[in-house]
Amino acid sequence: MPVFKTPFNGYSVKFSPFYESRLAVATAQNFGILGNGRVHVLDLSPAAPALTELVAFDTADGVYDLAWSESHDSLLIAAVADGSVKIYDTALPPTANPIRSLHEHTREVHSADYNPTRRDSFITSSWDDTVKLWTVDRPTSVRTFKEHAYCVYNATWNPRHSDVFCSASGDCTLRIWDVREMGSTMIIPAHEFEILACDWNKYDDCLIASASVDKSIKIWDVRNYRVPIAVLNGHGYAVRKVKFSPHRRNLLASCSYDMTVCLWDFMVEDALVGRYDHHTEFAVGVDMSVLVEGLLASTGWDELVYVWQQGMDPRAV
Amino acid sequence: MAMRELVTGGAACAVPGSSSSSNPLGALANALIGSSSKTQERLQEVPTSTPVTSEPNFYAETDNHLGALPGSEFDQSLLPPNAQGSEFLRGFRSADQNGFTDAWDEIQHQSDGPPFDHFYDRAAAPQLQPTLDGPPQRVLSSFLHSFVESSRSGIPFHPAALPLLGLSEGDKKCIRDRSSIMARHFFADQSEDFINAQVNTLLSSLEIDSDARGKGPLPGRFRELEDYWNESQSMRNTGPHPADGWVAEYGQHRVAHGDPDAWAHSFEQQHGANGWASEFEREQVLLTSGDQMRGGNISNLAAMEQTRMLAQTLAQNHDPKFQNSRFLQFVSKMSRGELIIDDNQVKPATLPASGDWASEYQQQYNNGPAWADEFARNEASRESIEAKLSRGPEGWADEFAAAQEQQGSVDDQWVNEFSKLHVGDWAEEFGQQISEGAFDTSGDSWANAYDEFLNEQVVAKVRSDASRGVYVFSDMNPYVGHPNPLKEGQELFRKGLLSEAVLALEAEVLKNPENSEGWRLLGIAHAENDDDQQAIAAMMRAHEAEPTNLEVLLSLGVSHTNELEQAAALKYLYGWLRHHPKYGTIAPPELSDSLYYADVARLFVEAARLSPEDADVHIVLGVLYNLSRQYDKAIESFQTALKLKPQDYSLWNKLGATQANSVQSADAILAYQRALDLKPNYVRAWANMGISYANQGMYEESVRYYVRALAMNPKADNAWQYLRISLSSASRNDMLEACDSRNLDVLQKEFPL
Repeated sequence: MPVFKTPFNGYSVKFSPFYESRLAVATAQNFGILGNGRVHVLDLSPAAPALTELVAFDTADGVYDLAWSESHDSLLIAAVADGSVKIYDTALPPTANPIRSLHEHTREVHSADYNPTRRDSFITSSWDDTVKLWTVDRPTSVRTFKEHAYCVYNATWNPRHSDVFCSASGDCTLRIWDVREMGSTMIIPAHEFEILACDWNKYDDCLIASASVDKSIKIWDVRNYRVPIAVLNGHGYAVRKVKFSPHRRNLLASCSYDMTVCLWDFMVEDALVGRYDHHTEFAVGVDMSVLVEGLLASTGWDELVYVWQQGMDPRAV
Repeated sequence: MAMRELVTGGAACAVPGSSSSSNPLGALANALIGSSSKTQERLQEVPTSTPVTSEPNFYAETDNHLGALPGSEFDQSLLPPNAQGSEFLRGFRSADQNGFTDAWDEIQHQSDGPPFDHFYDRAAAPQLQPTLDGPPQRVLSSFLHSFVESSRSGIPFHPAALPLLGLSEGDKKCIRDRSSIMARHFFADQSEDFINAQVNTLLSSLEIDSDARGKGPLPGRFRELEDYWNESQSMRNTGPHPADGWVAEYGQHRVAHGDPDAWAHSFEQQHGANGWASEFEREQVLLTSGDQMRGGNISNLAAMEQTRMLAQTLAQNHDPKFQNSRFLQFVSKMSRGELIIDDNQVKPATLPASGDWASEYQQQYNNGPAWADEFARNEASRESIEAKLSRGPEGWADEFAAAQEQQGSVDDQWVNEFSKLHVGDWAEEFGQQISEGAFDTSGDSWANAYDEFLNEQVVAKVRSDASRGVYVFSDMNPYVGHPNPLKEGQELFRKGLLSEAVLALEAEVLKNPENSEGWRLLGIAHAENDDDQQAIAAMMRAHEAEPTNLEVLLSLGVSHTNELEQAAALKYLYGWLRHHPKYGTIAPPELSDSLYYADVARLFVEAARLSPEDADVHIVLGVLYNLSRQYDKAIESFQTALKLKPQDYSLWNKLGATQANSVQSADAILAYQRALDLKPNYVRAWANMGISYANQGMYEESVRYYVRALAMNPKADNAWQYLRISLSSASRNDMLEACDSRNLDVLQKEFPL
């Protein structure tokens, strides 16, 4: 399956919601500890399975995450380690980009997520302990959500309720927010260790997955959040990202500092349904295509981006 | 009492990250995770990819794809009919408090307008750092790499002498802040102490002041509670709030309740039901300071002291060369705009092109209404489905009940709990309680609950200490019941039968837990058997039984040095001085609160001046110089001590370890040989010998020594790890299985000494 070599360490990979063959990769030099960053927009040519670069944008600091716009097929939001949020138009050459650079976060921005239902706004989460709500057309953020006591590593919109999102923080809690409310609506002390990622189930809008430094993934039902519905053990190190399948209710993908990408079915007893150990360094980015069922992408600190069909070996040429 | 860790430290001083170095850590990293070679193999499989700058039909497909808007599937059919959840989430909204809904909806109206007209004017050219690709930067890169990799083996990361990198203050801040946050993700299995040591090693190697750390760890155990506390605080601070009223009310109330017994209620009033976490924390601090001599708390204190001490040491280390660094000048010129990188990617002066793309853009987005329509349609159909689904408020309650049955966990209280999150409700309730004077009873029950919780926490803490600082006894000890296990233990120890001696001495301290000599000997036996964790645990007990025993203090100092716990090491070494009959007077007691390396070292230099004939002082000085990595001075001190005490085998071992640290592995082997001549069953010296051979790239030789050490003490876990590294470095993968299964028979046959 296709592989792409990035000059810097991979940090995040996202499929375009508009083109089944397009994806974007966020990278950072020196593992994001120091140096530049680059956003690559890649194209997957169906004829010869190869990833080709359509365009790349350089940044003065590592890029930690990306989000494609849900309203315009060429817009891309980048979460940059220098605290800025940059908006790129992938249709324009690098010299005309970024089309906007938003400086409000005071620390590294660690995630970005575009509202999938209202499609007019996006949220970013940062090591400055806040989540910010933005629209592409405003020079400043619409709102800042500050309640977490430590870095917010991830924030994701509910796939059905356009006002609800969830945030995952190093303060060991998940918080659920309704942007029409002043404070968070719900606090789930989900893990004993830092929580690095969260995602909503795409079919049951009450289910959230949380991924933690404690190596586990937990599935929560917001209607009854005292105990998790499922605890998925199997990663050997901190779980870095978690992503529910857009096609199958019970399926989710995760990647970890143990260098593997795992697929899970959280409703069955042997939850681990697939393990891919194609990365030779920490696997930190994983995504599942909305447009092609079973198409997975991952990136890691080994500077490689893989795209493969579920069930296949990512390394098979 | 040797310096196993220090030995490996010296090894890493070569070129970090380079796989060809004779560094066992590098080799370990390679062996465990197959870094460089594996990557290269992989790379050849990668199909060549040529960057395509612009694709002609980049836009062509847009229209077709807009039809299949992602996310639209979430709007309707895919949500299964039994998705009661939506109703639940709908219930989230209580009352619109501050017009957030309007603000939120307004976004949509605004974005209907023509937002993109002025949109591109703001294009800011990327201000890139120079690509970090010169030789020193590559060194930095591989150094950071080895830091990241050290997480996988859980092996301490060792300092390296790096060329001057000329990092700017901003760069340093980045490295400092990010590495300390990331380290907490990589090293989750390790103690806070270990993480600090790793990060501090990284920072000190890069000459970065570790003090001004932007984002330290959260205080470990009570993070969750702290959140609630922070939350109750921030709730009070943000804007108009129903709670404000009762805060004032509380103010009046508190005046009336001056007596300390009322703390429980007044506290609850002050911080809300959740705020007692902070009180708990305060309590905990008291507890901690109360029993700081016990077990795990030491490590917390040590972490604090360590940070403070390192900060001081490093603060004195401001290199003037740094100011003259060409790299720094380059960067600062860049930031003033005196330099422009002339690269086709980076032309800061270029204004965004205007004409062509604007029209193109218009075209592209002109079909906006189309998808808007579609969206509206989806919206409508969704609405109708929802109408069918919703059966009024009792509807979702039923659904919830059903869901709960499904979950199998009955928890009727959640509704109440949940509504408490809406502060308005409980604030009211609270007001009622105040007016009814209902506090005496509720306060009591609350206090009970608090006590319970406190107990639980204490129990949990003890449990977590078990992994560290608590002595673990062997089961099935044949010496239990022995009439005089101490004498037996001393005899066995003298004969060099260390593992047997350990058992006998364990029997002794089980019989007489207050016998400091028993514990001390047990600690020494473990140290010589290459098990520092148990050695420290035993020495701590000896220290408890007899806090002023000099040998115990010295052993603890050395063991903590081995484990890279500098603050703890300093504390014991200073204690040694304090309680020494000769030098007690030169150690001012006020120092013991905040120990800095420089002060302690100064005192010992003074002591050595007072009595140059005291070998012990030179030994401690040698250990201290190891702490500050002044190996030449350390070697000198140990050599002086050896002139006074030539028969001290552990001293020869210390000398060897220090020589190994300063990359004099050949000399080190001679020193270890002297130690082994004096004490043939000295497991640690055998293992150290192996390390020295490995450092010189003589892996096959090193294997023999490790196997020998392990034959004498199969419980020396570190030696097993080293053996594995050497086996793979010597390309003896055929023996790895024997190593993994700890099959000593096979190994001894294969590698006789």
